[in-house]
Amino acid sequence: MDLYDLRNEFDKSGMMMCFNGPFSHSIIEETGKAMRNHLVAENISQAAVLDVFAVYIELAQNVRNYIAVRAISPLEAMSSIIAIARQGEKYAVSSGNMVLNTDGEALLKRVNEVNSMTPEEQKRHYRELLRRDIAPGALGAGLGFLEIAKRTTEKLVSSIRPVDDTYSFFTLTAYI
Amino acid sequence: MEPLHIQQTSSTPLIQFNTGTGTLHISGESYPENSFDFFEPVISWLKIAVTECNELSLDIAITYMNSSSTKCTFDIIDILEEAFERGVKTSIVWRYDRENPRSYEMAEDFRDEVTFPFEIEAIEL
Repeated sequence: MDLYDLRNEFDKSGMMMCFNGPFSHSIIEETGKAMRNHLVAENISQAAVLDVFAVYIELAQNVRNYIAVRAISPLEAMSSIIAIARQGEKYAVSSGNMVLNTDGEALLKRVNEVNSMTPEEQKRHYRELLRRDIAPGALGAGLGFLEIAKRTTEKLVSSIRPVDDTYSFFTLTAYI
Repeated sequence: MEPLHIQQTSSTPLIQFNTGTGTLHISGESYPENSFDFFEPVISWLKIAVTECNELSLDIAITYMNSSSTKCTFDIIDILEEAFERGVKTSIVWRYDRENPRSYEMAEDFRDEVTFPFEIEAIEL
């Protein structure tokens, strides 16, 4: 296998780190540690390192939780990707994963909802969700997209691509 | 009161109750595999603890927590608030990292939620 073309693609997009495959907690943790070390070496502020790390954790745990809650098959879970790229002065943190066609629209709607809120509205909504009881079996508090938005000044960018009768591929990017 | 001691790992904080001082210490970073499972024993312990003592303080120094840990921390603080309203002397010292302005903002947001004494102090390195 010649990886040169893949490497060229990475180069073009400013890729720093990328993981593709099923996520386990230990993979999320280890990739996160490596990423943090890499960022610390780039001489950016500790607060910026933590923002990139926090966005990475929310995205990666979102993907892992979605796959668990929706019982996505191991074959489809293999398509999960998390990537951190350097684009000009910003870092782009992206996640991609297979979602059920029936969830696609709701995900895009949620991203748009968060994007359309002012920072004050986001803060108020975050507090409302904190007060809400967690549904039994839920793996998250529904705060992920808001947590990401809190750590970026730009809008979240999302897209969905139909794959087959059951699945679409959902991508979400935050710029920090 | 039951003892409480949870060892620190790279993605979960140290959680320890000091019976001598009546202080619950939480420190480290928090982004567990499943935050609700991780914090469940702490929340169950605390719900009983606040019925068995007259005074309980929380000393928290979490430099980073994910959103689901934030939810669990909110629940912990809510239990302390309810206990305070019933007459238990609850208090919090929240230690933030000077290098990280968000940890101070988070402390302020939590302080706005409570009516009991809530101090915000910088972590001394």
